[in-house]
Amino acid sequence: MNDNDAVRILFVDDEERILRSLALQFRRQYQVATETNPAKVMERLAGDTFDIIVSDQRMQQMTGSQLLSQIQHAHPDSLRILLTGYSDLDAAVDALNSGGIFRYLTKPWDQQDLANTLAQAAEIVRHRRRYLKRNPVAAPEPASLVEEKRIRLLLIDDDSETLQLSRDICARLGVGLQAVSSLDGAMARLNEDEIDILLSDIRLGDDDLRPLLMSLAQAHPQLLTVVVTPFQDTQLLLKLINQAQIFRYLPKPVRRGMLERAIKTAVTQVAESRRQPHAPSLRQAEAPRAEEEQSRVNNFMGMLGRLRQRLTA
Amino acid sequence: MSSIQSLAALIKPVGSLSPEMTISDVADQLLQPSHKAFLSLPVVNRQGRPLGLISRYRLQDIFMQRFGRDLWGKRSVTEAVNTESLVIALDTSLDEAARIVTAQLQYPITEDFILVDKHGCYQGLGTVLDLLKAMESRIDQRNQALSRALQELKNSQAHLIQSEKMASLGQMVAGVAHELNTPLGYVKNNVQLLRDLVQPLLELAAAQAQLSQCLQDPATPTDTVEAIFSRVQQATDQASPATFEEDFTPLLEDTLYGLEQIGELAVSLKDFARLDRAMSEDIDLNDCVRSALVIARNALKDKALVTTRLGELPLLTCTPSQINQVLLNILNNAAQAMTNSGQILIKSWADTRCAYLSIQDNGAGIPNDIQQRIFDPFFTTKAVGEGTGLGLAISYKIVQQHGGTIRFASEPGRGTRFVISLPLSQPSPLQRSA
Repeated sequence: MNDNDAVRILFVDDEERILRSLALQFRRQYQVATETNPAKVMERLAGDTFDIIVSDQRMQQMTGSQLLSQIQHAHPDSLRILLTGYSDLDAAVDALNSGGIFRYLTKPWDQQDLANTLAQAAEIVRHRRRYLKRNPVAAPEPASLVEEKRIRLLLIDDDSETLQLSRDICARLGVGLQAVSSLDGAMARLNEDEIDILLSDIRLGDDDLRPLLMSLAQAHPQLLTVVVTPFQDTQLLLKLINQAQIFRYLPKPVRRGMLERAIKTAVTQVAESRRQPHAPSLRQAEAPRAEEEQSRVNNFMGMLGRLRQRLTA
Repeated sequence: MSSIQSLAALIKPVGSLSPEMTISDVADQLLQPSHKAFLSLPVVNRQGRPLGLISRYRLQDIFMQRFGRDLWGKRSVTEAVNTESLVIALDTSLDEAARIVTAQLQYPITEDFILVDKHGCYQGLGTVLDLLKAMESRIDQRNQALSRALQELKNSQAHLIQSEKMASLGQMVAGVAHELNTPLGYVKNNVQLLRDLVQPLLELAAAQAQLSQCLQDPATPTDTVEAIFSRVQQATDQASPATFEEDFTPLLEDTLYGLEQIGELAVSLKDFARLDRAMSEDIDLNDCVRSALVIARNALKDKALVTTRLGELPLLTCTPSQINQVLLNILNNAAQAMTNSGQILIKSWADTRCAYLSIQDNGAGIPNDIQQRIFDPFFTTKAVGEGTGLGLAISYKIVQQHGGTIRFASEPGRGTRFVISLPLSQPSPLQRSA
């Protein structure tokens, strides 16, 4: 694969008019292919590589989140985007937790927004290609060298049940757990310790943690954020996916099995990226749009100065 | 008027007669104005125990005998007292007292009844008339309470029917709103694309206008003409005829198609939204089916493939919004009965009397043990909060009010088939309560 090769995008939708419209919009910048039958996508991917897959959710043969989950499994390096007219919480949770989506976009889409999103995804693809070209064989460092450093999880929550569960699970998985129940405490830990996994609610007392999560997505894209929250709102989740690049979204009261699976997967992923410490991340958040949010994010970015210094060092 | 709950409220504290009194004394007592209202007076011993009642009727019998007063007048009252008189404890409930009194009542009514405390001591008299009045007022109040309850029940039923209507309406509006997003998505994008695609055409038109202007003017220097001509050539390259063929035609056609889809959804929504609309004549049931399918598309899309075999139907009189509600309900149920790759077959036909609709699915079917109950109000197999349990009950009522029938056959594991028949002509004006 060559850096100069066009980025390849596959659009999947059971409405061919959507596909025609999208293909026409992007045919100049990217190498675009379309598919109306989601059941045929896996077959196509077996013979043909696509960097970015954009899928509809509600289709006759299978749902978009089902399809993206299969793709994530077989082609983890692809970037997956859901483009749907239905704002459906279950679909969004599914698409994130088992499809590992890069973005959740809604129909009717804004032309410029979609163009920006695909441009961002394409940049990630190109960046990765350049890296792979420099390091033709992705030679993982021997496991023995990297596994000395313990994986660290920071829990930001004041809920005793979540704390107890996380303690049990972290102890079993050999993960170092730090728990804080205040925003100040969280900032201190994030600045001073090397945190790999973040487990957090989106509210802490009166504090809204979302700007922090958004800031972290920008300052520390490798950090895997598992959100555990009683709030069940599609719009909120969309924002967390798109602007905070969260790794998992679990409803409270959280079930042990669910939380354990999420942390386990995060641990595996952290261990994997430690073996290729210089590989570019596939994670990148969209910048917040509202001015007020942007200023709160900037504020947090300032407070996370030490963390950023350490990461760029 | 507050309701009388106990016998105590009926008590008449009448002074008692002592057993030592003679019949003549008693007759004098009965003539006292204060005793006028009583049929009888109580005889009570020193210990306060009632011995019985002595009634006007009894004295009348005695005194009407020849020399009755002379023969009986001096005798003790105890010889004439009715020892079988009714004695009722004060704490007896009104209903129980009424039951005892009516059980013992004899015609003509000659006596009242004695009220005693829990030790059996005389407290006063109760009259049958008062008891009857108290009972009557209680019955009145109960009737009022019952009719209030009936009214409340009617109101809450109307409320429930309304909320079922709103629930299905809300579900449908949400579905349609989402359904609109697909055509809106590509129509909006296409128009934006067309706007960009038109730019080179505008440039070409401008360049050509400029060219023709300077060609008309003989004074234009040659190099200016050449410059403008090359601008025209450039613009022509940008706006190649192939672009129109390849891009414009499909974009415009898709856009028109999308707008038609949006329009179709809007029309169906309008048909559905006015759920209270009155009866209309000249309705083609097939139109109702088509309209319901547009609305239910959202619920059916990833569940089932719908096939229609609609026969030609004579126009009939019905309330289309209600028939739509019935169809939507059955289609939604069908969708919920299927996991995926289901099939729904809708057929319509008519004979000389009725038009028929059949909706058949290959879903889970209705378990045998609940088949008898599916039209019962509030019967639901869904979780609390997911269904009102009124969908089919209301459907049943709607069809019934149209003078039609709704029947079904179901086999668990194989599917369910509903058949609705509606008469071609309505015998009487429809009630519109549902």
